[in-house]
Amino acid sequence: MFSGYLGELVQQLKKLPGIGNKSAQRLAMHLISGDKNKALLLAESIQNAVENITNCSICNMLSESDPCEFCADTARHKNFLCVVENTQDIYLVENTHEYHGRYFVLGNLLSPLDGIGPDEINFPLLLDLIRKDGIEELILALNPSAEGESTINYIASQLEETSTNITRLSTGLPFGGDIEYTNSITLGNALKRRYSVNN
Amino acid sequence: MEISYLKIQNYRNFRERKFEFEPEGTLILGRNGIGKTNLLEAIAYLAFGKSFQNSKDAELINFSKAFFRLEGRFKLSEKDHFIEAAADKNKKIIKIDEINISRISELYQFLKVVYFSPADINIIGGAPSFRRSFIDQAISQYSFKYIADLRRYNRILKQRNALLKEKFDPKEKRSWDEQFAHLGAAIIQQRLDYMQEFIPVLVDYYARISGFRENLDIKYDFSFPHQGDDIRDDLFNHMEESVEQEIHYERSLCGPHLDDIELTINDHLARNFASQGQKRSLSIAARLVQANLISSQSNEPPILMFDDVLSDLDKERSKEIINLLQGTHQIFIATPNSETYKDFNLKKIDLEN
Repeated sequence: MFSGYLGELVQQLKKLPGIGNKSAQRLAMHLISGDKNKALLLAESIQNAVENITNCSICNMLSESDPCEFCADTARHKNFLCVVENTQDIYLVENTHEYHGRYFVLGNLLSPLDGIGPDEINFPLLLDLIRKDGIEELILALNPSAEGESTINYIASQLEETSTNITRLSTGLPFGGDIEYTNSITLGNALKRRYSVNN
Repeated sequence: MEISYLKIQNYRNFRERKFEFEPEGTLILGRNGIGKTNLLEAIAYLAFGKSFQNSKDAELINFSKAFFRLEGRFKLSEKDHFIEAAADKNKKIIKIDEINISRISELYQFLKVVYFSPADINIIGGAPSFRRSFIDQAISQYSFKYIADLRRYNRILKQRNALLKEKFDPKEKRSWDEQFAHLGAAIIQQRLDYMQEFIPVLVDYYARISGFRENLDIKYDFSFPHQGDDIRDDLFNHMEESVEQEIHYERSLCGPHLDDIELTINDHLARNFASQGQKRSLSIAARLVQANLISSQSNEPPILMFDDVLSDLDKERSKEIINLLQGTHQIFIATPNSETYKDFNLKKIDLEN
């Protein structure tokens, strides 16, 4: 239905996650009608971001600088390393204000179905970092999905021989949650990992 | 638990029809092809959130229409509840008391139906997968945890099978094996727990149905060597030992997805040696025990549906089955011959009228 430059634009927009045919057409029409400067500004921001953002060569996070702000920050606890799946997850952990160590971004979780093995989760880079910097505690802040679980098992088994303490996120009741509305699996986990009141 | 009212719209061969049911149940009559099974299926849809014949939602819509809709009123622990289900080719909506549910398994915990299908004979005579689905479905009807464990196990199984098709690092395989063994053992343990309650009742029912002439024996048949008490370790060790074969066949060769349940009648394997009538009565007995365990778990007798399954049994056997059932559940029976079921004394609905 759309051809030429407009058709090309629609095709490119459709490749974005969550964008179907209809949305792509609406976005394309929006971009080319009205204030054309807005669209050019958008194009410029995309270009700038793509050209200037790379993976940090130490922790693999998407960053404008290499090393990234976290790796360059000497005030951070050097011996704590928090492993996350994506760069976005770093900001989720940062927002807790509970953690002041460094990060490592895997980029993926192990998933043979999608052809993702140890090399695709950047394990060699992680291993390098642990060996060089003498990490005391490695916190695996990964989803408790089958893929996350397998990734946790894999990393833990690879580091068996080292003195690094490996921990993972707890699963259980949400803060301010009501046990009446908690599903039985979550409640079961919370019960299994109960902790002493005196701590 | 009982259904008192059902409205069917554009479902299979029904255009629009309303039914009222008695607490004791109903005998559904009519010639072949008039829609007796479809009526049972419509009621059961409100309990399972899908067709018990595993048809896709799109196939349930009347040929000339774009959607179907079902409404049912149920009594559960003395309270009335209203369930609606509707689907078009892309989407389905299920509501309990006017509130949308997000997962179909919420229905399982709510409304319970045990359907005695003509195909149930496969539980005894068919491939192991029929026995596995029987026990999986039976446990799922009252355990959320089991449903979640199964879903997760199947995901890991898929991932593990994909891994076995590729070159892999042994530690990567172990990262899946650990979860696989852990969940596999949890599933098997839940099956064994269920069977511990299931077996004595089944042995008793079957003895009665067979006029105390036949001796039934049942055991869980592991797909890997298992002697001690530690299922997880046995499963894990067997996976380690059979890595060569697994790589050769490119799939997981042990675990609950390959286990079986072995039934023997007078020391002969029922799957191979039982007669049609024995298989039929044993499969009916198994469904009755399933219903019985639901009743004792939830204090709420499930609705029973018989899709003309008694017609190939001898008089004594069907009489015993009727005796076992009388007065305990709401019962729906679909049949073209009301004669077989005259002892039930149920109100009749003739679909010809």
